[in-house]
Amino acid sequence: PRFPVDQGRSLCVLADSREMCSAPEVISCLRAEHGLRVQVCALGTSDYMVSNRLAVDRLLQSELQSPGNRSKLSQRLQRLQGSFERICVIVETDRVRPGETSRFFQRTQYYDGVLSALVQAGIRILFSSCQQETAALLKDLALLEHRKGAAIQVPTEPEGHKRDILNFYLSIPNLSYGAALNLCHSFGSVAAVAN
Amino acid sequence: PVTAGSIVVPYGHVIGNEKWRGSEVAQRLQGKVRLIFEDGLGLVDFHLSNRTCILLISEADTVAGDEFKRRLVRFRNASSLRGIVIVEKTQISDQYYLGVQKLVVLELGMVLLPVTNQGEASQLIIQLVSFCVGEQSRNRGANPFLRKRRAQLAEPAVLQAVQQIPGVGKTKALLLLQQFGSIHRLCNASIDELEEVVGRTVAQQIYNF
Repeated sequence: PRFPVDQGRSLCVLADSREMCSAPEVISCLRAEHGLRVQVCALGTSDYMVSNRLAVDRLLQSELQSPGNRSKLSQRLQRLQGSFERICVIVETDRVRPGETSRFFQRTQYYDGVLSALVQAGIRILFSSCQQETAALLKDLALLEHRKGAAIQVPTEPEGHKRDILNFYLSIPNLSYGAALNLCHSFGSVAAVAN
Repeated sequence: PVTAGSIVVPYGHVIGNEKWRGSEVAQRLQGKVRLIFEDGLGLVDFHLSNRTCILLISEADTVAGDEFKRRLVRFRNASSLRGIVIVEKTQISDQYYLGVQKLVVLELGMVLLPVTNQGEASQLIIQLVSFCVGEQSRNRGANPFLRKRRAQLAEPAVLQAVQQIPGVGKTKALLLLQQFGSIHRLCNASIDELEEVVGRTVAQQIYNF
């Protein structure tokens, strides 16, 4: 990377455990090709967290095309806005399955409406044509956030007692996984936070 | 001239740069939105509202070289308007897309939306206009992705949180909250106070936590 990251510690990205199944290539690409530290955990709200304030959701183009997804999508993004300062969605072109000829993407008015709504809501939109490109975009975002001093700096795998405390913080509404991790590491105890 | 300043757009209208008169985009927009042409819009192709404008990058622009990049940077430096960049992403210009995206979205912090031809561009502009109008009329409830400020009930959440303390289940969580009322007071409770509510072992566990 062009911007040197602290000695011996690479950039860190948190990935939701569901992404292990739905986008294994993104995760392995981040690790192998870009040398990022990827911590898989139960983020729940977002697919990825690339910094303390930026959540990234990976959406397939077909998901934005179908009106049936509308309420699910809006609930999900509203929840994200409750917990994060910045939100970015990566719109990934659907994979063409073997035996299928390249599907012709018919751009609908509905799809344009969804994009317009995202723009108006101040959600950043990136387009990707495959999982490798998505991984590269996540790396770019992590690098950018690192440059702005918002990178995830704390250890991401608390153990034992810290683990219990983390779970306690995670049960607080509108507190993101990253914010909970930071509370865990900046305060000695729950009592210190409460006071 | 490098004008990129604001311009007053009458409600429900779109102001287009004179150079687009007679183009396919303009023809398709006409009838769907009230389109007015004006000279001297400089860098901007279409103004959707007083705050939002569109810069259109054609396939030819992307292939021709870096001139369009200089135009975008000049716009970004000269204007505080929200600029939406619409780029023609075709089989030919596809290879440049990632680079353009990196510049526009990551470096300039603007919005970038790809279309495959001018027809798609006009369809997208029509949708963008309807959201801009909604924004001006303060009809923001129409946007499904804007956060609704709905206060969440705190009590179930507090109950959930207390159950994360080792040794505390639903029953003990309820008893503790009845006694102490808040997480703050629970945190500052002494072992003896805790023992009055739960047994000695659990009281110790909570205190240690």
